[in-house]
Formats: sequence, C-alpha cells, structure tokens
Amino acid sequence: MGTLIDRFEEHDGPVRGIDFHKTQPLFVSGGDDYKIKVWSYQTRRCLFTLNGHLDYVRTVFFHHELPWILSSSDDQTIRIWNWQNRSLICTMTGHNHYTMCAQFHPKEDLIVSASLDQSVRVWDISGLRKKHSAPTSMTFEDQMARANANQADMFGNTDAVVKFVLEGHDRGVNWVAFHPTLPLIVSAGDDRLVKLWRMSETKAWEVDTCRGHFQNVSACLFHPHQDLILSVGEDKTVRVWDLNKRTSVQSFKRENDRFWVIAAHPEINLFAAGHDNGVMVFKLERERPASAVYQNQLFYITKEKHVRMYDFAKNVESPSMLSLKKLGAPWTPPRTLSYNPAERAILVTSPADSGCYELVSLPRDASGAVEPTDTKRGQGNSAVFVARNRFAVFNQANQQIDIKDLTNSTTKTIKPPHGTTDIYFGGTGCLLLITATSVVLYDIQQKKQLAELAVNGVKYVVWSSDGLHAALLSKHNVTIVTKSLQQVSTLHETIRIKSATWDDAGVLLYSTLNHIKYTLMNGDNGIVRTLEHTVYLVRVKGRNVYCLDRAAKPKILQIDPTEYRFKLALVKRNYEEMLNIIRTSSLVGQSIISYLQKKGYPEIALQFVQDPQTRFELAIECGNLDVAVEMAKQLDRPLLWQRLSTEALAHGNHQVVEMTYQKLRNFDKLSFLYLATGEQDKLRRMAKIAEHRGDMTSRFQNALYLNDVENRIEMFKEIDLYPLAYITAKSHGLEDQCKDILEASGFTEDQISLPSVGQPLAPPKPVVPTFKANWPTKSTSSSTFEKALLGEVEGLDEAPTANGYDESDLLEPDVPKAANGELDIGEEDEDAEGWDMGDDVDAEVEGDFVNVETAEAGAGSSEADLWARNSPIAADHIAAGSFETAMQLLNRQIGAVNFKPLQPRFEEIYQASKTYLPASAGLPPLVNYVRRNPSETDSRKVLPFIPRDIESITVGELQAGKTAMQKNKLEDGVQLFKKMLHILMVNAVASAGEISQAKALIHTAAQYVLGMAIELERRRLTKNAQDISSLSDDDKKRSLELSAYFTVPEMEPSHVTLALFSAMNFAHKNKQLSSALSFANSLIEKGTNAKFKESARKIKAVCERNPNDTVDIEFDQFAEFDICAASYTPIYSGSPSSACPFDGVKYHSKYKGTVCKVCEVAQIGAPASGIRLFV
Amino acid sequence: MDPYSAEGELVNLHNYFHQAQYAQVIDFDTSALSSSNLLPARVLQLRAKIALSQVDEALSEISSDANKSTPDLKAVQILAQYSKAQHAGKPLDGNASAAEELAKSDGDNVNVQVLCGTVLAGAGMAEEALQVLGKHQGSLDAIALIVQIHLQQNRLDLANKEAQQARKWAQDNLLVNIAESWVGMRQGGEKYQAAYYVFEELAQAPATQSVQSLIGQAVAELHLGRLPEAEAALQQARDLDAENPDLLVNSVVLDTILGKVDEAKAAKEKLAKVHPEYQALADWAKKKEEFEKACERYTPKFDP
Repeated sequence: MGTLIDRFEEHDGPVRGIDFHKTQPLFVSGGDDYKIKVWSYQTRRCLFTLNGHLDYVRTVFFHHELPWILSSSDDQTIRIWNWQNRSLICTMTGHNHYTMCAQFHPKEDLIVSASLDQSVRVWDISGLRKKHSAPTSMTFEDQMARANANQADMFGNTDAVVKFVLEGHDRGVNWVAFHPTLPLIVSAGDDRLVKLWRMSETKAWEVDTCRGHFQNVSACLFHPHQDLILSVGEDKTVRVWDLNKRTSVQSFKRENDRFWVIAAHPEINLFAAGHDNGVMVFKLERERPASAVYQNQLFYITKEKHVRMYDFAKNVESPSMLSLKKLGAPWTPPRTLSYNPAERAILVTSPADSGCYELVSLPRDASGAVEPTDTKRGQGNSAVFVARNRFAVFNQANQQIDIKDLTNSTTKTIKPPHGTTDIYFGGTGCLLLITATSVVLYDIQQKKQLAELAVNGVKYVVWSSDGLHAALLSKHNVTIVTKSLQQVSTLHETIRIKSATWDDAGVLLYSTLNHIKYTLMNGDNGIVRTLEHTVYLVRVKGRNVYCLDRAAKPKILQIDPTEYRFKLALVKRNYEEMLNIIRTSSLVGQSIISYLQKKGYPEIALQFVQDPQTRFELAIECGNLDVAVEMAKQLDRPLLWQRLSTEALAHGNHQVVEMTYQKLRNFDKLSFLYLATGEQDKLRRMAKIAEHRGDMTSRFQNALYLNDVENRIEMFKEIDLYPLAYITAKSHGLEDQCKDILEASGFTEDQISLPSVGQPLAPPKPVVPTFKANWPTKSTSSSTFEKALLGEVEGLDEAPTANGYDESDLLEPDVPKAANGELDIGEEDEDAEGWDMGDDVDAEVEGDFVNVETAEAGAGSSEADLWARNSPIAADHIAAGSFETAMQLLNRQIGAVNFKPLQPRFEEIYQASKTYLPASAGLPPLVNYVRRNPSETDSRKVLPFIPRDIESITVGELQAGKTAMQKNKLEDGVQLFKKMLHILMVNAVASAGEISQAKALIHTAAQYVLGMAIELERRRLTKNAQDISSLSDDDKKRSLELSAYFTVPEMEPSHVTLALFSAMNFAHKNKQLSSALSFANSLIEKGTNAKFKESARKIKAVCERNPNDTVDIEFDQFAEFDICAASYTPIYSGSPSSACPFDGVKYHSKYKGTVCKVCEVAQIGAPASGIRLFV
Repeated sequence: MDPYSAEGELVNLHNYFHQAQYAQVIDFDTSALSSSNLLPARVLQLRAKIALSQVDEALSEISSDANKSTPDLKAVQILAQYSKAQHAGKPLDGNASAAEELAKSDGDNVNVQVLCGTVLAGAGMAEEALQVLGKHQGSLDAIALIVQIHLQQNRLDLANKEAQQARKWAQDNLLVNIAESWVGMRQGGEKYQAAYYVFEELAQAPATQSVQSLIGQAVAELHLGRLPEAEAALQQARDLDAENPDLLVNSVVLDTILGKVDEAKAAKEKLAKVHPEYQALADWAKKKEEFEKACERYTPKFDP
C-alpha cells in the first residue's frame, strides 16, 4: 500500500494541479513555471508541454470524453487545450483576479471556475464543442473564423460564454466543484465557508453555507455516491458535511499540517488529502459489514442498516428483517453482530457515541425493515454472546467487562488485563481478550486467565466450525491457535489481511485485499484465487466461497480447492484421497512436484513426472532403483550411471552396481565387486579382459584376486620384471618356474640373495554364492500411496490373463485318452420315497421363525435370535442355529427338499457364526456373534457373517470348474459346479447389485453341470472310444445324439467351441457327415480358436461332397430346444416341461416332483417364491 | 488401603492373574508381602494353578496349608474340585451345592463370593451366582464375573450398566477395561475397535502378553473383518501354546470363515482330541443332530 512508483521531475518550481486521464495512460500537470505538461505513465516520460499561460497554473483537468484539457491560472484566464493536436483552442477571460480552480461538468457542456475575485462562474462551452466536432465542409469564412477561434465572433460572443456568476463568498474562492449527478455546485473560500449552490437552466443561486472551518478552506468536493460534502482547510482539518442538512457529520484534525487539496477515488471508497508534508489516503467509514454465521445462515447488516439473513444452502437472501436506523449515529455503520440462536436475538455494536450496543430480537418472519420494538441498549465498545442467556460487554474507557443477562442487567463484572482493546468469544464460558501485544483466554466462571499468547495487534478472531481451532487475524499476520490458545502456526502477509473462514476439513481460507489464500495447520499456504474487489469471507463449502462484498451483498465465488485438499491429504497421509484427486483433477505441474520433493515425498512426486532426468533424480532420492535404472538406460550418461552405482551400492543391490560398472567400463571396481560377491567365473573373465586390454596392473590385480600365481609370473615375465617373477615363483614353491626364469635371465640360484618370505597369502575362497542374490541392506521406500497406485496397475493387468486357454489344452478333447470316464451323475439315485411334500409348502411357515431358547428367568435373547428375526435369508437362519426355519425358507423359496448335500454348507455357516472369547478363569469363554455388518449397532439390523462371498466363489469354484473343463477333468468339474451351486443356494450377498451376479453364477454353474453330465454319459456309453462301430445301433445313435447335445448348454464360447469341435470330430469319424458339416459350420461361425476353425474348414470341405448321415439322430441344429437334465433328450419349445426352481434347468414333465439332478436339492416344478440373498 | 489398588502390594500379582499370565502368578515372590496380604496372594496363586489345570497339585497344597480352614481356602478347594469335575466331563451339581453352602456361611468373604460365584455360574446356576456375587463391596473380580454372567444370559444392558458403574469408581483399572471390552464385543460397531485396542495393548506388550489376550485380539479383529490380521494374532498365540482349547476353537471359526475347509476340520479334530469336553464341540454335534432331525421332515423323491 502506498508505494512510490516513480518521480516525474521536469517542472520548475511547485506543481499545483494534476489530473489522470479516464481511459488513456496519461496525466497532466501544471505548475509555477506557467507550463502544462502531459505525461505518459507507461513510458514515464513527458510527452509534450503546453505553453501559453502567463502566470502560475493552478489546476488542470482532462475532459471526460473530448481530447481537451482545462487549466486555470493566476494570469486570470481559463484555457482549454486540445492535447491531440497540442493546441490552445479557447481562452476564457472574465475573472479579475487569480483563477484558483476550473472544472468541466461531468456530463454537460459546462465549466465552473473559482477565483480570488470572490466569484464563482459557470461557463457554457457548447459553442466550442459544436465548432470542434462538426467537420462539415468549410467555407473560407469558416476557416478564417476557425483560425481566429479565440476571438469574439461578429456578435461579440466567444466560444465560451459566462452563464452564471455566483457571488456570495466574502473572500477569494479557492475551489469549486460540480455534483456528479445533481445540478449542484460546492465552493470553498478564504471566508472559511463552504457554500452550496443550485442551478437551473436559467439561473443559479446559493442554497446554504457550511460553517465550521476556522481558517481558509482550500478545497471541497461532493462524495461520489453518498449525500456528503468533504472539505479541507488551512485549519488542518478534514470535514464531512451532510449534503441535505448542511450539518457537520465528522471532522478530522491533523496536528501540524494544513490541508490544501482533496480528491476522491472514482470507484473505491477512498479519499486523498494533500497537506504540508504529504498525502493522506483515508476512507470515511468502515466498509466491513457486520455479520455472524450460524449453521447455514448468515446474518448481516446492510448499508441501509437493515438486518438480513442469507441461507447458504438455498442461496437465498431474505428480505430485510429489522431496521437499525436508530442505532448509533447516522453515517456510522454498526461494527459487530453477534447472533444467539437459542433466543434468535442479535447483539449489535456501533462505534458511535464512543461505543454502544443494542440487543434486539429478530422477528419470526422477515417482513421488511421494521423498527425493533423491544431494544436493550447500553454503552460499550464490544459485545458478544458468551452463553445462551449471557453476553459480555467490554468498555474500553473504564477497562471493564460486564457479563449481562438478557434483560440487560449486569450479573458479573470482570476487570480485564490492562490495555485490553477488544473481546471475542473464547469457547464455552470463555472470552478471548485482545490487547495490543497479546491474546488472553479468560474463564468467565472462574474469573481467571487460562492462557496467554503473545500476538501483536490482533483484530479479528475466527473460530473453526468444530470449535477446536481459532485463527487470530492481525493486519499482516494470521496465527492459528487451538481452543486452549496453543499456537499451531503463524504466517505473515505483506498485503493486508481482511478476513478468514474455515473449511470443514480444517483448512483456513483467508482473504487479503486482492487474494483468497489458504493455510494448512502446518503453515503451508498458497493462493487460491485473485480478487477484483475486496470481500469478507464468511464460509467455504466445496468449491464455493461465500462472502460479503463492501456493499454488504452476499456473493459466491468459485474456487478450485484441489491444491489445498491435496496438500491436506498429504499431511494427513490420506492416500486414498490423494489418489482420488490425482485421478479426477489435472493437478500436475512443476509446483506440485517441487512441493512434494521439498516436503519429503519424492516417491509420490515420482508418480507425476514424465521427464526422465527428473524421474531419475526423484527415483534416486526415494531409493526406487528400478525406476532409476530404467531412466538411466534412457538417458545413458556416465554421470547418471555413477550416481546410480553409488546409490545401488548403498542398497546392496550389487546386480545394479555390476551393470553400472559395466556401463562405465570401470574394470577395477568391477573386479573388486566380483571378488566381494565371490563370483569367480566373472572374475576370471575380467582377468581375460585385462589380458586383452594389455592392462598389466589390472591383470595383476585380477590374478591376485583369483590367486592365479602362474598368470602373475607370466605377466612379470612379459614385462621383463624377472626379479618379481622369480620371487613370486619362489615364494609359492614353483621350483620349475624358478629354473626357467633363472635360465631366461642368465643367473644361477646362488647369485640371488632372497629375503626370507613367509607363507604365501591367498585370498579367501567364497563359501556361499552370495552373488546369486542381492543383499537388501536398505529397504526401498514404497509408500502406501505407491502401493495403491501399483495395485491399480496390477488390477488392470490381470484381466487379460484370466482367459488363458493354451494350445496344449485345446488339443486334449481331440484325444480323450484318460480312462476315468465313469459317470456318477446318474447314479445318485437313492431309494425314492413317496412324494408327499405338498403340505409342507404351506404358507404357515411365515409364522414364527424365532427359536427362543428356554432360558432362566432374567436371561435375554441372544444375538443369534435377532439374526433370525432380522432376516428372511436361509443362510442367516442357519447362522442363528435355526436349521428348521432355514429349511422351511429354502423349501419355500426354491423348493428345496433334499437337504443332505447341503449339510457341509450348513455346518460351515453355523461354525463361522460365533467366536469364543476367553474371559474369567474357570468359566467357559464368552460367545460373540460375528456380523457381516460390523459397523452396525442397531439390534434390528445386525446380521450374521456368511462365509464365501461372490468374489471368493468367482475366483475359487468357478475358475476351478472352468479349468477342469479345459483340462478335460469333467468329473471334478461336475463336483465343483455342484458345490458352487450349494454355496450359492445358501448365501447372503453384500449388496443389491450382487444379487444379479449371484443369479448369473447359478445359471452358469447349472449349465456347466448339465453339459458335463451329458458328455460324461456319452463317454460311459462309448467307453471312451472314438470308434463306435462295435456298439449296438441304439447306443450308437444315443452316443451321437449326446455328443450333439453337449454343444447346447450355455457355456463360455471357448468351451462351446470345445464341445463343437469334439462333436464334429466324433460325427466325422462315425460317418455322420451331415451332422459333422453342421458342427463345422457352427464352429467356423462361433469358434474362438483358429486352429479348430482350420480343421473345421477341412472337414467341411470333405463333408460337403457327401452330406449324409449314416444314422438318423434326433438333433435339429436349427430348432430351439433345451436338454432335459434327467433323460438328456431335447425338450422342444412348446412341448410341456418342468424346471428346477433353483437353477432353472429344464426337465420333461414326467420328472416333475423329483429332485433336480443338477443341484440335487430342489424339487423339480415345486412352487417357489425365488431365492433371497439380500435383506 | 485396598491392596489391589495401584499403590497396593498385590496390584502386580492381581494384574498377572487377569492377564492370564498364570506362570508369573505362581512364580511371584510373596515373601516380601505384608502379612495381611499373604492369604489373598496365596489364593491367587492357587487359582492360577487351577487355571493351568494343575488341580491335584493345588488340592494337595491346600490340604497341607496351615490356613486350610479359612473360608478363602475352602472356596479355592471347591473351585479346584469343580474344575476337576468339569475337565472330566462329570456333573457339577455336587460342586454347586458345596459352593452354595459355603456362600451361605461365609458370604461376606470376597474370595468366597468370587470363587463360589464362578462355580455356580459354571454349573449353570446363574441367578444363584449373581446372588452370591451381589454381596461384594467394591471387588472388581466380582464385578467382572457379574458382567460375564450377564453377557452369558444375553443381558447386554445389565452387563453394560455394571461395567459403566465400575468405570466410575475404578477408572482405568485393567479389569474394568477388560470387562468393558467383553461388553463391547457384544455391542459391536465402534466398540469392536475399542475392545481391540485393549486386547492388542495387552497382547503386544512383552510384559503382558498371554495366549488369552492374543486370542482376544484375534477375535476382535475377526469381528472387525480384518481376517489376515486375526490369523496372524492366532498364529502368535499358537506359537505360545498350540493346544489351548480357546485357540483351537477360534481357529476353527476363522478357517471356516476364510473358506479353509481342511484346516478347519484339522483344528476341530485336534480340539476334540485335546479337550473333548469343550462346549463348542457339543454345540456343533447337537446342531448336526438337529440338522438330521430337520431333514426328516422332508421326503425327497428321486428319479428312478
């Protein structure tokens, strides 16, 4: 605020007048050097100078639309200049003393001027405008006239004529100004008066005088949008007057400086007054609307002092509820508003009359700006509610806090610490007392200080919605404290802080003059958005920030909370939330990466980065070697390999180290690494490489590492170091070598004197092949977040592999070699007992499922009993131990009659229903009931845990069954699918959506059982042979039919392919060329396997030559039919049939009433209401 | 001063007992205790032996003890005999009547209340047990028993009330926490987690770890649906004592829930071998019979 942008120093002597252009980057100045200068504030240069005045220039003003400048001067003239062609276009003479001020009318073609000749003149310049804005064809005379523009025309008129002369001031007039909208003029003179004038079309007259200044009045103006006049004078005061009553509203006195000029900002509520020593910028009134938030409601006071309510949820502004016109003084807006929801009352303070408060009840309905009837008022600077029926009033003058009840009588008086300036609500029963240098938490009940925190100049206190934290706002600081006044964090802003509000997640959003910013509890902060106008935040919800603007209108601003939510999630380590944010928003960028890196989350930053170099850096930082290696390979720079090797070594990942050394061609280090890891083979290879490279030192080293004495001697010999060769040989006892060397060098043994040598040293041999695995000495950091990300990736990868059906499997059905073709499906037949189930299916079962155990007096019913009561699902009744009702339910729902196969399932469910918690010694353990809804505590909703959910069945039995199908293990398959049916029959699913899944699974399993059973029956008949010529004609026909029916059940396409392929081959081998042809056609059409299709085409070609069947079988590939699961014969659509109420498999109607062959539990054709799997 | 309170001499011994660290109870050096606390300490040590199924040893120790005629030791004797009968699967009526008699004559003795209450409750005479225990004057042992009996009777409301009352005056006492956890395990919801914390704190601190608290932790986790964690806790318990019946029975439950049919079966068989008298086994067997009986109501017809 108030920074000097630049100095423009070209005028000689004082500068008296200045004006900015409304639209262009220009300003004009006039000074005591008689000059008018026009400047560009962009280039910061003087563009040109207008010369003409013959004395000091007092004021200069731009015209609001024409390219004109108006100047007044001590040479008694007023001049108009065109700043485009830089010429003087009009000179107005008439004043007979210095003209002190001249201004354009904001709309009309008028000028008003003031002069020390004690007059104010109004000039009409419409003639001038006409002349300069009518570029019609000009005659010679016109041009002549124009050339002499400032001369009087033939009637003695000039372009500007005096319209009114206003006389009334007794001394010189210093300043004059037009009202922005009304026909009013205000003038200020050395007679210490401010005069108001009114004018009409034809005349102008004095309206009134504002008396008060006790020295010359230098300048005055109308308030841009309020009915006020402002004036400044040499009496060192700024005065504000009521335009309508002409009474003084306010005055401000400066100690030593006389005021000379005043100006108003065109939009913002700011004024500037120039005095002897500088400029003072001020506002007339507090612009912060008094407001209070309660839940979804915002109560606030408008500029008209009306109380209104705004509903955040509905985004509705209520009509005015009350008018507080009488509160305080006019032109003084209320300062604070405190709301009491219990009493629906508000407490309003106003700074007028050195501080006062009013307690008012809000009307039930907002019916307009009514005057409150029952108002309690009193003196005080601050007043806040501290309890439902108490409020505290602080009086700064006598430094006293009164606790008052709702009848406004004092119940308690508190002496606050010296220097208290303000009070705020401090949590239940407490106050926050603000002094200039500290904040004190004060307990009203105990009348004592609970805590004190040194914070300078706190102005506002904002509590979080959960009441656990508060933000203390000073002019440039935000301090976050806990409710016990422990400082959490603090931050400094260079721009003035205006307001703050808490996000529900515990993020503080605050506004400065031009930004909305956030801060987390840990002090991290940033900008959320910029503001065009200053606003006062009242609430944040989601992407909306609610605020009051300076006109006290509620506003909603959109923000993007992603950044701070992400940071919050990071701080709270809420990885799910982070993942969610990453997925749903475009939160990528250098800033977030550097933020993450700085905050020590390189592994998370790694997830955002694409650039290999940055990725490498991050990977090294978080020790993610895999990524680092990958990136190093991409970049392939020695420096990176170097860093990678260091990092990998620190991790003990010697395989990566090895690779980096290889890349760096760091042979020595590589050799040493092999020595250290005991990788002898590679060490030998290194020795060879050294030999090739002719690097003797390296060769020597490698030979040492390998304990390869011969090589060493050889090397010494090669480089003619015979003495060393000799001593090496000697010390290792290699006498032959010694001799050779002596011979070669021409010495004898006795010519050589040797020092005594000890035992030769050998490097230790590796005992364990440690090179085979890395030594994980440093765990790689992988956060939950990373895992979550990886988990997601894996999830995507899994899908395609699930459908593996490899070549070898495909060929198997072609050669069904295994002899285990025994069919057991048809052999389940047990002694059939008379079917007399009818009466059991009665509706009376509805009655009472509850099986209350006979307990002693005083005992309650167990949770198991509740389960049975809470659920119509059979599985839940089983878990509750009520097998009888469970069976009744199953019978009713799916027509179950044969429960034997379900016994393991019953046992399983019951066994899983209770745990046994050992308790007091000597007593049996406490039984607890396992719930499938563990977070539920309502006894009417608790339900038992049922083992085996849909997912476990899908990945377990279903997969196993399908694998069995592929692997041609049909007996196992039938068993698996039957087990699956039983598990599904008695189960409970987690959501309504899973019901359809479960039903689909039931259908699938049943179709597989059916298909497999048909195929097994065929194999039983044919005894697993492909050639059936030896069979009887009936069996022949039957086996061909079965082979065809196998293709009917709805199995997976790849499995149907198998069935078709098998049927085609079987038919082809047995000269059923027509059938084979139709299977081949289907295979080509529907098959999922290229190889099968290929052979199908061949067979098709063969069969088409003679499409005839040797045996006529009952199979019409074009007809719609189901297969009866008992007789394995077709049931054509339209013919009578019966179905299993559980799995839907069809039967010929003669089987009605028997037990279903597929599920082995339900009774075919029994009346059933349908399976219940979800409550 | 209450010898069991935080400053009392017996607080450690008492805590050991209720954390089911019976070996520590038996090994506790009682020589330094003041004379008035010797007898209660003795009772706790004998109870620990009984809990470890060293019943005969306990009985012989009682018969040779100088204080054997005190009601305290008489009560221990009754408990020992009850425990013996229970393990042998014999009827408990005799023990119960002995306990009732002693409770009549020495009903004011806190050990008599607790031990006879245990015997009565164990024999299925919950109302009588509650009557005996009701005479206690601020004994947390008695309160814990009352809570357990209420829970066994499925009177969660009464159990909760009892625990909450104890919480008021005994505050953070171990036994209050444990009893509250028992109640919590019935209430469910957030209380599961609270109970889990109590058991976990006991089970994972080396100084307080015991099979019983590990099982408690596992059971809480099972109820919370955290099955792999429950499995890990059970495994920890298994490493300490693989034959603990409570461990085995909960293994059966957990393996069943996890769909590990074979493991569940193995654990069940082991339980039947080691503790054939265990109540859950009887329960399961009874249910099997019920199933068969219920099946008889239906007469399925099969295709010939």
